[in-house]
Amino acid sequence: MTGDNSGFSSGLKRRRKIENIFRIISLTITWVSVIILLVLLTHVTLQGFQRLNLGFLQNFPSRFPDKAGLKSALYGSIWLISLIFLISVPLGTASAIYLEEYGKKGILGKFIEINIANLAGVPSIVYGILGLAIFVRFMGLGRSVLAGSLTMSLLILPVIIMAAREALRAVPQSVRHGAYALGATRWQTIIHHVLPASTPGILTGVILAMSRAIGETAPLIMIGALTYVAFIPEGPMDSFTALPIQIFNWASRPQAEFQTVAAAGIIVLLGVLLLMNAAAVIIRNYFQRKYKW
Amino acid sequence: MVDFPQKSQAVIRHKPVEIPDPAMETLHVTIKYGESMAVSDCSIKFQKNRVTAIIGPSGCGKSTLIRSLNRMNDFIDGFSITGQVMFDGVDIYDRKADPVEIRRRIGMVFQKPNPFPKSIYKNIIWGPQINGFKGDPDELVEESLTNAALWDEVKDRLNESALALSGGQQQRLCIARAIAMKPEIILMDEPASALDPKSTARVEDLIEELRKHYTIVIVTHNMQQAARISDYTAFLYNGDLVEFGVTKRIFTNPDRKETEDYITGRFG
Repeated sequence: MTGDNSGFSSGLKRRRKIENIFRIISLTITWVSVIILLVLLTHVTLQGFQRLNLGFLQNFPSRFPDKAGLKSALYGSIWLISLIFLISVPLGTASAIYLEEYGKKGILGKFIEINIANLAGVPSIVYGILGLAIFVRFMGLGRSVLAGSLTMSLLILPVIIMAAREALRAVPQSVRHGAYALGATRWQTIIHHVLPASTPGILTGVILAMSRAIGETAPLIMIGALTYVAFIPEGPMDSFTALPIQIFNWASRPQAEFQTVAAAGIIVLLGVLLLMNAAAVIIRNYFQRKYKW
Repeated sequence: MVDFPQKSQAVIRHKPVEIPDPAMETLHVTIKYGESMAVSDCSIKFQKNRVTAIIGPSGCGKSTLIRSLNRMNDFIDGFSITGQVMFDGVDIYDRKADPVEIRRRIGMVFQKPNPFPKSIYKNIIWGPQINGFKGDPDELVEESLTNAALWDEVKDRLNESALALSGGQQQRLCIARAIAMKPEIILMDEPASALDPKSTARVEDLIEELRKHYTIVIVTHNMQQAARISDYTAFLYNGDLVEFGVTKRIFTNPDRKETEDYITGRFG
């Protein structure tokens, strides 16, 4: 010992012990959630796997469990997700650009920011009520795919806006200044430099939001998406059903056979989700490689 | 820090320097951020085709001053300016003056190299393109890179990312990017402070070349650098323009005690 340790009582043993306890608690919690997820997945897979075949994807719903399929629900979900993407991504990105790049950072800006954060926490059923009142009744869109997509877009817009703002904020100020110093307008700076550089971040938000939208059921039931649809929507004004609604419908039937059908439906829904996420992650990584500061 | 009054009453021994043909001039410019004063009552003329250095200790307002010359301070909250910044017969802060047009004609190189995360070629040609350049892009890229003494190093990899270049190369690319716009004035805000000595020497050589065709205003906290490359020097302290004159005279025979203390390294 060379130093003077009289002023310290290291208590190293005790500190190590606390650290160990905390590490074990964290580990347990992590594993518990993973195991619960695995149990659920195994259960669903075991129950629904034998029901899964090409016919399941190609058949319309039926009151006979072995003939029931989710063709209309699958197509309905694809319609929904495509329209939601087309509506919410431009709107969300544009709002974020305004708030981050153009808007004055005054009291009004703070007010808007807080409200967007609040909107992200509003229960989805409330958006359903809003959609029913505005899109279905007031705007007369009826129980159409379009009304459903607009309602869902409202629901996920706050998430997209917040993620996009974060992404825009992460673009170094020096890039903007470099562009301005060359006689660029704000818009030229944004469209050529800021937006491309923030694309990976914006896409991350979009992935999260889309995943939420594809699994959401409550607002769709609220605006009156149908549970029995024996046709494929051919335009945005057609009525529709969606995967989670179809699954909910099957799961709530008394016959045991339909439980199997529901499990198969869940597998399809999870598959669609995973495919979407994988595609988005690939796109995001591609952009991320392009922009390394 | 040496303690001395803000404005000493030293006898001015030299007559104000003659600037026969200024490319730009500030007239009684006072700049505030919110309530705090950054530059007060500063009048400088920048001689055409010469290098004017602005020196002074950290926080003296030299960066603020140079950024006000092409309205790069407009993006800072609370920024306000009084007085005039005359360029080509107009005050660039006049309501009729367009900052975008001003920044096209007055280029800027920043302290930290900030190339766009795009190819070397795109870095050069982007500015001219968005401003409606009609000539041959290949020619302009070669000319700009040659003038920035970078062409030989990058001519075989123009389509590679500019971020793959070294710091010194990136800074010369930023200078090439600025001169591709054929600016009338180039502002440089401590362009070599983030570079190693070898890269610094190359940038200084480059400035030596550029002064034949451009009016250059450079902020530096490196006094040897100011002495080496500039024709005129302005010394700023606490937001006041303490002394302005021919570089040689400022460094050998300053009028004011503050200037002498600073250049001899007694503070700053």
